Amino acid sequence: MATALLIVHGLVAVALLGAITHQTLAAWGAAGARPASFLGRFRSVPSASFANAIVFLYAASTLLGGIIYLYFRVDVRPELERASHWHVLGFFELKEHFAAIGLALLPAYWVCWRRPLANEPTQIRTALTSMLAFIVWWGFLTGHVANNIMGFGS
Amino acid sequence: MTSSAPFRRFSFAFGTTFAVLYVVALAKDLALITVFPSLGIILAGTHRSRDVADPAMGFLAPAIYWYGWTTTAALGALVVGLVAASIPKGSTRYNWEGMVWIIPALSMIACVYLTLPWFRL
Repeated sequence: MATALLIVHGLVAVALLGAITHQTLAAWGAAGARPASFLGRFRSVPSASFANAIVFLYAASTLLGGIIYLYFRVDVRPELERASHWHVLGFFELKEHFAAIGLALLPAYWVCWRRPLANEPTQIRTALTSMLAFIVWWGFLTGHVANNIMGFGS
Repeated sequence: MTSSAPFRRFSFAFGTTFAVLYVVALAKDLALITVFPSLGIILAGTHRSRDVADPAMGFLAPAIYWYGWTTTAALGALVVGLVAASIPKGSTRYNWEGMVWIIPALSMIACVYLTLPWFRL
C-alpha cells in the first residue's frame, strides 16, 4: 500500500514539477525571449491555463505526502536516525514546512492567475508562482534523496 | 475577468496569516493534535515523551506533530481570513496584497532557522 501510494505521489509530483516550471519560466520570461529558441518555446505556454491543474496537483501531492508520512515516520525515519542521516532529515523537515506554507498560498495563487483585478500588476503572481516552484522543486529533490539515501548514500 | 473581492481578501489574508501562525506553532510547539501512527491514536494538543528514564520509548511510539502545527495555523488563518472577507471594501487602508508573498518568504527563512539544529547533530 505504501509503495503504491509513493509511486502515485511521485507521478503526481512529476506532473506538478513540469507544470509549475513551465508557468514560472513563462511568468518570468514574458519579454525578450526569442520565440524560435527551445527556451522561448518552453516559456511560450498559456500560463493562466496551468493554474487549475497546478492547484489540483499540488493539493493531491500534499494529501498523498501527508498519508505516506505516517509510514515514513514509523518505518523510514527511525532507520535514517539510526544511520545518522541528520542532514537528510533536516532537509525533509524543511520540505514539510515549505509544503504546508505553499498549500496555504494556493487560494491567493489561484486568484492572481484566474481572477485578477483589472490592470493588476503581475509581480505578485510571479512571486507566488516562483515560491511555489521553489517549494515543489525542494520537495521533489528532498523526497527523492530521502527515498534513495539508504541505497546510494550508505 | 474580475475578482470576487471577499474571496480575494480571504485568500490573501489566509495565506499570509497561515505562514505567520505556522512559524509560531512550530517555534512554540503548538500542535492542535498529536498523531501516534504506530498506535493508531490521535491526541488533542502537543504530547512530548516524558519518559526521561528511557528516551528510547520514542522509537516505539513515534509522534507526528506536523498535522497539529498545520491544523493550528489553518484554524487561525481561517478565522483571520473570514474576518478579512467580511470587512467592507474601503473600510480599511491596510493592504494585504504585497504581504502575501513577502511574509511567507520570511516564514520559510524562519523555518530554516528553526530547523538548523538538525544540521548540527
